[in-house]
Amino acid sequence: MIKITELQKYYRTEEVETIALNKLSIEVKEGEFVAIMGPSGCGKSTLLNILGLLDDPDGGSYLFNNIEVADFNERKRADLRKHNIGFVFQSFNLIDELTVFENVELPLIYTGVPSSERVGRVEKVLDKMQIMHRRNHYPQQLSGGQQQRVAVARAVVNNPKLILADEPTGNLDSSNGNEVMELLTDLNEQGTTIIMVTHSEHDARYSHRIIRLLDGQTVMENIMI
Amino acid sequence: MIKNYFKIAFRNISRNLGYTFLNVFGLTLGVAACLAIFLIVLNELGYDSHNSKADRTYRVTLHALDYNANVSMGIIPTMRTYFPQLEHATQVFYQKDVNIKIGENRFAEKNLLMSDSELDKLFDYQWLAGNHNTALSDPNSVVLTESLAKKYFPHNNAMGQLINFGDKNAKVTGVIKDVPANTSLPVGMILSLNTYQDQFKRMAAHFWNIAGGSYAYIVIPQNYSIHTLEKQMPDYIKKTWGKDVGADVVMPLQPLKDVHFDQRYINNIITPTSKDTYYALIGVALLIIITACINFINLATARAIKRAKEVGVRKVLGASRPQLINQFMGEITVMVLISVLLGVGICALFLSQANAWMSIDISPDQILQPEVLSWIAAITIIVILCAGLYPAFVQSAFQPVDSFKNNSGVTSGGLTLRKGLVVMQFTISQMLIVGTLIVASQMDFFRNQDLGFNKDAVISVNMPMPEKREVFQQELTSLPGVKECSMSSGAPSYNDSWSPFSAAALGFPKNNVTEIKFIDEKYTDMFGLTMLAGQKITRKAESDTLHKVVVNETLMHDLAIQDPQKLINQRINVSGDMATVIGVVKDFQSESKHKKRRACVLEYVPRGFFNASIRLQAKNMPATIAAIGKQWHQLFPDNIFKYEFIYEHIAAMYTQEQKVYTAFQLFAGIAILIGCLGLYGLIAFAASQRTKEVGIRKVLGAPLHSIVGLFTREFALLIVIAFLIAAPLGYFIMHKWLQNFAYHISIGPSIFFVAIASSLVIAAFTTAHQTLKAALANPVKSLRSE
Repeated sequence: MIKITELQKYYRTEEVETIALNKLSIEVKEGEFVAIMGPSGCGKSTLLNILGLLDDPDGGSYLFNNIEVADFNERKRADLRKHNIGFVFQSFNLIDELTVFENVELPLIYTGVPSSERVGRVEKVLDKMQIMHRRNHYPQQLSGGQQQRVAVARAVVNNPKLILADEPTGNLDSSNGNEVMELLTDLNEQGTTIIMVTHSEHDARYSHRIIRLLDGQTVMENIMI
Repeated sequence: MIKNYFKIAFRNISRNLGYTFLNVFGLTLGVAACLAIFLIVLNELGYDSHNSKADRTYRVTLHALDYNANVSMGIIPTMRTYFPQLEHATQVFYQKDVNIKIGENRFAEKNLLMSDSELDKLFDYQWLAGNHNTALSDPNSVVLTESLAKKYFPHNNAMGQLINFGDKNAKVTGVIKDVPANTSLPVGMILSLNTYQDQFKRMAAHFWNIAGGSYAYIVIPQNYSIHTLEKQMPDYIKKTWGKDVGADVVMPLQPLKDVHFDQRYINNIITPTSKDTYYALIGVALLIIITACINFINLATARAIKRAKEVGVRKVLGASRPQLINQFMGEITVMVLISVLLGVGICALFLSQANAWMSIDISPDQILQPEVLSWIAAITIIVILCAGLYPAFVQSAFQPVDSFKNNSGVTSGGLTLRKGLVVMQFTISQMLIVGTLIVASQMDFFRNQDLGFNKDAVISVNMPMPEKREVFQQELTSLPGVKECSMSSGAPSYNDSWSPFSAAALGFPKNNVTEIKFIDEKYTDMFGLTMLAGQKITRKAESDTLHKVVVNETLMHDLAIQDPQKLINQRINVSGDMATVIGVVKDFQSESKHKKRRACVLEYVPRGFFNASIRLQAKNMPATIAAIGKQWHQLFPDNIFKYEFIYEHIAAMYTQEQKVYTAFQLFAGIAILIGCLGLYGLIAFAASQRTKEVGIRKVLGAPLHSIVGLFTREFALLIVIAFLIAAPLGYFIMHKWLQNFAYHISIGPSIFFVAIASSLVIAAFTTAHQTLKAALANPVKSLRSE
């Protein structure tokens, strides 16, 4: 599903050039659950941003479903993203001005799903995430665990093929964290590919494979049994 | 999708009430001010346009030594014969003041017209009663305006009632609706012209018998060129009035719609105003709207930092840039619509107040005119585009990766722009401050400085019979509240008598024009006129037929004489009679300062003493005036006692400038207030952005004043930059405005000093609350929150 080859990313200021990804090559197959680990500044989040088509690589190749997307323009990237990729963030990134229902509905609006169909799909996913009773609340009225469940609901409502999760339990206590990991595992079992950046060995154990990065390069891969 | 945009717009607005208030209130004020200006300008530029034939109507005027709006009463009757192609032509005799009697009640009214039925064909009067074709056909017929008819006959039908005009009784034969205020020919009542047929006929026999108040109007047929008529005018003058007249004069045909704006003419009923004044007001309106739009852009881009995350999330979820632009435009649209609605409401509410301040007459109904509504729609769209597009494009351009990581990339460009916009706002404010100060100084100069005579505490009273003046004068001087009293044809600032003068012996055989004032022996001292040479006017016996005159400096210069002594005992010809110059007086201001001072001749002619100038003691003036009124009623029982302070008369010469001044004060105030709202908002955001920095500085020991200085220094610099732009611009514009007047102030540095000082003070007050709040905040709290 995803094949990156010799991917490079630099960050430049006026005087310093920092290498974030140094000719990194990774392949992720459809239906895999991959965890990416490594110390701060190793390039995890940069990799996730490029995989999620939020950022451009400076060199190398990125094949998404066998299509070269490294040189896509913003419009093409946005189009591919909204139909194929869901995001879950450490800090949830819910929009404060919208209710739970409206936050989850947003991706459907942007993909042009008719309003009659949207209601059913949002309710279904809220039900699945056990957050239906909070549908009319605003994010700040929810606990962290509930907010992350809403974020997961929003990530999956469009039935994406790939979910990119950036430290999804980083702001949660262990019990809420476990619940979120269970949700991701369930989604993966239903066929969704998941790539998750994490610092937590505990969370990484939910995955099939752990890729460890250091200084923008793969230093180790562990297959989980 | 649109529903979603508006839903989010309303939520954002209601959750950020402070921000919304700053934006909406600023724009509301801006819209209200602009709408008021638009209505004022529409009203003023629309003078006389309400008449359906206005485009084809012309005033026949006279250009000989001067541009004169008055012409002989003989012009229209002869033009009717000479130019049968004219669609309509009418003579109007206008009298500013009229005393009438109905039963036992006396009324002093304004705006009496004497004309014929043709008048109605030129000016679209709306008839409430009477036949418009015949109402003015018979002698002794009078047509009243609706308000006068209601005033005189509140309970009866006005038609057929009698009104006494002193020597005549006239029957009410028609009632018309009140004429719109923006007319160059105001109407109180119209008396049939043939009521005074004999007098007018005598006056009509001579070209040069030009009565003050006599106006001639014509309407040319449709598709007829006025140039054709203009080409025939010299022939008409020669053939009708003789070759001599034809050689000396031109009779310009002045378009009716230009009457209110052509400042060359003397003897207008309403003082004309330059159109530039109204273009300047439109400029002010533009500046106000720009200021309000800048607030929108500034506050929106400042707030964009806070919304960067939202934009990032939306983009991650698949929002395209056009969708985000639409969303932001939706929010701006909602705010602009709210502001426009409130602005229109405020304008309607305060219009009556503005009317009173600016001596105009605009009703709130006028907002509903199609052209005003389309203007409101246009301004709404323009503001939405100006205020919305830039922030929408900036905000929608945020990259999700940047917006999640930090905000630094988002702010720097916006900050420079915001500073630039703040500089622009301060430039506008300071230009308006400079403008207001200069107009204020010029107004003071008009009324109080360099008049050449002492106007203080003097009232002017017109007398019906000069023969009773001696008795009246004796009675007045015996009153304890009266300081002194002088009889004349008018106080120095009153002028309505003009004559030709020449001095063949001095090498000036050709006629020039001079003002003539008939004054008594007390006049020179009472008004403090300064004699440059010779003697003052003294009393002389009625039997003394020698003309002895005092002339002013300008007349002396007209005769190319520099030394006043050299003019003493010289002979000049005034109105066809030879007179000896016995004195030269320093120029005094007899007309408005719009025009260069003109020649003036003073002479002792008691039959011309229709006016009493009375200087009152400063104490208890109302009682003195009441006592004068009592004396008046004993001497002139049939006449209403009316008086006017000279300063009021002088002020009336500058009513148009007063309007400009009031407008400047009002709208400059509004522009500054709008700018302050924006500045307050910006400082609030700057303070919230720099909370951490302030916290760290305080932990490191920064004192209060250095934190306050952190914020104020930056804005002070912006004000200084703005001043460097505003000062030359303001100087240039106002210098040009001052050129409208023959006599004006010179623009000194103090005005600019006041402008920058007041800007700094206003900005300091505006920012004080937020900067102090930031500086006094507990650093522990601010650092923790970061």
